Amino acid sequence: MADEIVNQGRRRVLTTLTSVAGAAGVVGAAVPFIGSWQPSAKAKAAGAPVEVNISKLEPGAMVTVEWRGKPVYIVRRTQEILAMLRDFDMDKLQDPESTNAVQPGYIQADLRAIEGSEEILVLLGLCTHLGCAPSYRPDVGAEDLGGENWLGGFFCRCHGSKFDMAGRVYKGVPAPTNLEIPPYRFVSDSSIVIGEDQEA
Amino acid sequence: MTGIFTGFIDWIDARLPIRRAWDTHLGKYYAPKNFNFWYFFGVFALFVLINQLITGIWLTMNYVPSAADAFGSVEYIMRDVPYGWLLRYLHSTGASAFFVVIYLHMFRGLMYGSYKAPRELIWIFGMFIYLALMAEAFLGYVLPWGQMSYWGAQVIVNLFGAIPYVGEDLVQWIRGDYLISGATLNRFFALHVVALPIVILALVFLHILALHEIGSNNPDGVEIKKYKDENGVPLDGIRFHPYYTVHDLVGLSVFLIIFLGIVFFAPELNGYFLEHANFEEANNLKTPEHIAPVWYFTPFYAILRAVTIDLGGVFTSKFMGFIAMISAIVVLFFLPWLDRSPVRSIRYKGLISKIALITFAANFVVLGWLGLKAPTPGRTFLSQLCTVLYFAFFIGLPFWSRLEKTTTPPDRIRMKGLPRRQVLAGLALFLALVILPITAVAAGGGGKCGAVPCDTFEADYDDKASLQAGARTFVNYCMGCHSAKYMRWERMAEDLDIPRDLVMDNMMFTDQKIGDLMYISMDKADAKRWFGAMPPDLTLETRARSPEWVLTFLRSYYLDAERPTGVNNSVFANVGMPHVFMHEQGVAKCNEATDDICTDLSAPLGGELNEAEFEKVTYDLTNFLTYMAEPVAKKRQTIGVYVILFLLILLALTWLLNREYWKEVH
Repeated sequence: MADEIVNQGRRRVLTTLTSVAGAAGVVGAAVPFIGSWQPSAKAKAAGAPVEVNISKLEPGAMVTVEWRGKPVYIVRRTQEILAMLRDFDMDKLQDPESTNAVQPGYIQADLRAIEGSEEILVLLGLCTHLGCAPSYRPDVGAEDLGGENWLGGFFCRCHGSKFDMAGRVYKGVPAPTNLEIPPYRFVSDSSIVIGEDQEA
Repeated sequence: MTGIFTGFIDWIDARLPIRRAWDTHLGKYYAPKNFNFWYFFGVFALFVLINQLITGIWLTMNYVPSAADAFGSVEYIMRDVPYGWLLRYLHSTGASAFFVVIYLHMFRGLMYGSYKAPRELIWIFGMFIYLALMAEAFLGYVLPWGQMSYWGAQVIVNLFGAIPYVGEDLVQWIRGDYLISGATLNRFFALHVVALPIVILALVFLHILALHEIGSNNPDGVEIKKYKDENGVPLDGIRFHPYYTVHDLVGLSVFLIIFLGIVFFAPELNGYFLEHANFEEANNLKTPEHIAPVWYFTPFYAILRAVTIDLGGVFTSKFMGFIAMISAIVVLFFLPWLDRSPVRSIRYKGLISKIALITFAANFVVLGWLGLKAPTPGRTFLSQLCTVLYFAFFIGLPFWSRLEKTTTPPDRIRMKGLPRRQVLAGLALFLALVILPITAVAAGGGGKCGAVPCDTFEADYDDKASLQAGARTFVNYCMGCHSAKYMRWERMAEDLDIPRDLVMDNMMFTDQKIGDLMYISMDKADAKRWFGAMPPDLTLETRARSPEWVLTFLRSYYLDAERPTGVNNSVFANVGMPHVFMHEQGVAKCNEATDDICTDLSAPLGGELNEAEFEKVTYDLTNFLTYMAEPVAKKRQTIGVYVILFLLILLALTWLLNREYWKEVH
């Protein structure tokens, strides 16, 4: 083999082209392997939106429904609660305007509900600290939660995080952000769908 | 930058000899310059092995090894897991491809005497790989838990029952139960995905290590190490990398075009790669009408069936067949010592060797064909003849290889093979020896559609109107009794452009969700009382039978007063299902029957639809069933076109690259 007559330039060009094509082939071949880790049709069907009948939900009461295997809290807030939330001492809250909260764009910043249906509050029932399910404590002035300072809300027993009646986190507790709000929409006054966005 | 990289490599090299490994196996591994296309198959085998390992790992992520869920989990992979169908087809096609390339690789060894001294160990490691591969393929075939999986396992495991005295206990120990059951499935799964892959990898490692120690044989069968230059490099050798790397890339591109062509356009390969009966879930009370192993086992299966002599005592024909089958494999291990020829390559052996080798190969193919077919007297006789010929090759080999006149091989390799005329004559002889015996016994074995010829059918996935009409008929007429429990309503709605609300309001039962599987609520006990058996799930019916069968079946009902339903069917004799289209088609009378089954039907009378209209109804229904059996079929073909186009570009590039490197080599 006489190396001096070898056309090195041509070799280099062809090697580069073949390598590029080969790399493209490897990337293409990786698609099904990576893609197959996405949720399957079964998982998607199991995680499909859930329709909830809220006609029997009493003012001040809460129901828990399951969506994608997680608890979703639905609360019907009374006018008194809404009035209380509007006069809230915002200094007590870490993020009263929900700037860092995970919530759909059509959710109001302060009352954290869909405009016009403020009495219905929908929250993902998992504490933003380490994922325990907070308990619903609407009892204003509860002794164990600070007496008259407690205006009702959610309390996480695991690490003591407190949230108000809009799921907003208090200052001085371990949870970093407000409770999450999943996408939901109203089908009618008596029924909501969790997991589907409200149409604009 | 380069300095850091070299430094890093140096650091590693001081602790692990990676440079030496590279040189030994690629950079300074000198392979003979005269490799022809037969030398591609080893590389292909390595490629398919990697394919099997990776796709296999991915399949285990969703496969459920339990008797209750295995079959369903495979359909889950095929339908619900993103790209699951592709992973499964790559694995199932890979299994067959593995044997294709291994058989050709072994034939190469036979042709050029690659097993002869000093390469006996390479051959023996290779034979162990082949053996482990057969075990691996068999175990893997059981996992989908279809009818063929089940009854194949039943037959193969029962083979061990032929061993005198301990047979029955051994069979029970292998099964871990009194029948093939979930216990068997679970141990087969463990062996298939953990134990045997480790064994195969270790053997492949040894195979290649031994090869690179001795050096490759070549089509001339001469030792290239005899003549070296001043640096100790064989004059007829060439560095594996880059010369054979670029060379193998061309071969690999061609191989991929064929392999992926099958994956994307014919993954069942007409029932040879994925057997039809395996699209029906395992049923321990009902054997499929015709059972045959997958094609790569059939030569040995034919030998097993061919042995009908009974020598009495423990030497029953069952045991003798078992012995014959095992011997047919074991004898291959002894080839290095059976071949006594002074030369290696077929090029320099005598005429007897050449004809014997071609006959042997043709004989093997004929045996494979016979093993796929239901036995008839003619076929049994032919398989006995072929079995004798198979063993005659090994018995005769020591004699003719020593006695025949050989020509003297050249001192150094040549770049040309046997004269073209001789090669073509050999190929013609091979084809004649394959085709003639097969044609002689081709007849018999029964038609595909029972007592009548099949109607022709061609699926049309683009005809949404036809698919929608078929879906409507399916829901209205079939789903009273038949489920489609691997198919989701939502997918049907999406693929067939049926609005979701329409599906939810008009097709589904009220308590179902759109994402649910297409279950029905028929009670098993009721079904048994009404029809004598639970009506089968129809998701995969056209794959388990065939679209033609289903179509012909739907059209072939006739009046038969002796049946409880008042009707019978020419395609499916004494079927429990009533004639659901009585109102639409009317019903035919039987003009002529053989063995109580009608072979000639009159024109149907009393139907609301005319013949053309009813043909359309049944076509649409069959079209829908065909879609449902493999909803991804259309997408698969579309992706396939792009894949093949890409591979053609890759082939062009690798071909140019290879030519560039090899044009200086003389």
